[in-house]
Amino acid sequence: MTNGEWNTSTGGGDDNECLDNLLHAYRAACPDPDPSVNFMPSLWAKIEAREASSTVFSRVAKALVTAALSASVLMALLAASSSQSGVSFDGSAYIQALAADHVSDLEPLQVERISDLEQ
Amino acid sequence: MLVEFELLQSAQRGDASAFNQVVTAYRRRILGTISRLIGRPEDVEDVAQEVFLRLYFSLDQLRTPEVFEPWLYRLTVNASYDYLRKSKRRPESRMSDLSEQQVLMADAAAGSKAQVEEGEKHRVRDMVQGLLASVSEEDRILLTLKEVEGLSLKELEKIYHVNENSLKVRLFRARQRVLKNMKGVTTERQDVASSGDGLQKV
Repeated sequence: MTNGEWNTSTGGGDDNECLDNLLHAYRAACPDPDPSVNFMPSLWAKIEAREASSTVFSRVAKALVTAALSASVLMALLAASSSQSGVSFDGSAYIQALAADHVSDLEPLQVERISDLEQ
Repeated sequence: MLVEFELLQSAQRGDASAFNQVVTAYRRRILGTISRLIGRPEDVEDVAQEVFLRLYFSLDQLRTPEVFEPWLYRLTVNASYDYLRKSKRRPESRMSDLSEQQVLMADAAAGSKAQVEEGEKHRVRDMVQGLLASVSEEDRILLTLKEVEGLSLKELEKIYHVNENSLKVRLFRARQRVLKNMKGVTTERQDVASSGDGLQKV
């Protein structure tokens, strides 16, 4: 295929045929290039680099998962030990303690005066 | 297929020598396809290495030998897309570097037949790359695979995972766009040629 053939076609022939000829000429004008001598060593270097980075990532991920599991187990153990020691929240005890602490505040309720009014 | 399935299976099991043989068998073809897809000779090897890198890390997914080559082409197309998107540039259209008249004069000065032939090839490359650069990446890659690489519609079906009719429609539209641009270029060339100093070459 020469330039002349596809150029002649552009002169008014079938455009589709001209495009086909041009693309075939392009295929002939662009042969498969030869790889350089560094192609394979460079490829293997990239493969090893990718493997190394994925290994580091997986190690970091494993370390994070292990830390999260350890923290969960530790928290579960702490919760279990605190429930066994009998320390629990008792609402009534808290209110009694609060009332005892504020007895003086409760005194001026002046019950007598209310009873006086009732009388 | 350029290699036996047993060789691929050995490569799947991690045999580096087998993988080397697979790469050696296909690399020239892949380099050629990439060079015609991206139009940047200086980056062809990098993109080809990316293709084989992806092949290496996904080879264990291969189950049947008949899908290997379409799959390798798919990796090639995807790596080329990625390259084109990353670089945000299209193949250089060198048609604008020299006017038609300058090219003709350079040809006339070149003299020898080999140089003239090389000049013809250069001009064909520039013209096609210029035409393909004026359409979308999708159109360019599809047309190149079909019309330049010579893949059949069946092979393209496996690569693109779309049915034959859809491919025909896409190809037809892509051709129409290229033809439209070609007419524009032809008109420009004729205008330049007619305005020259009688230097006419067909």
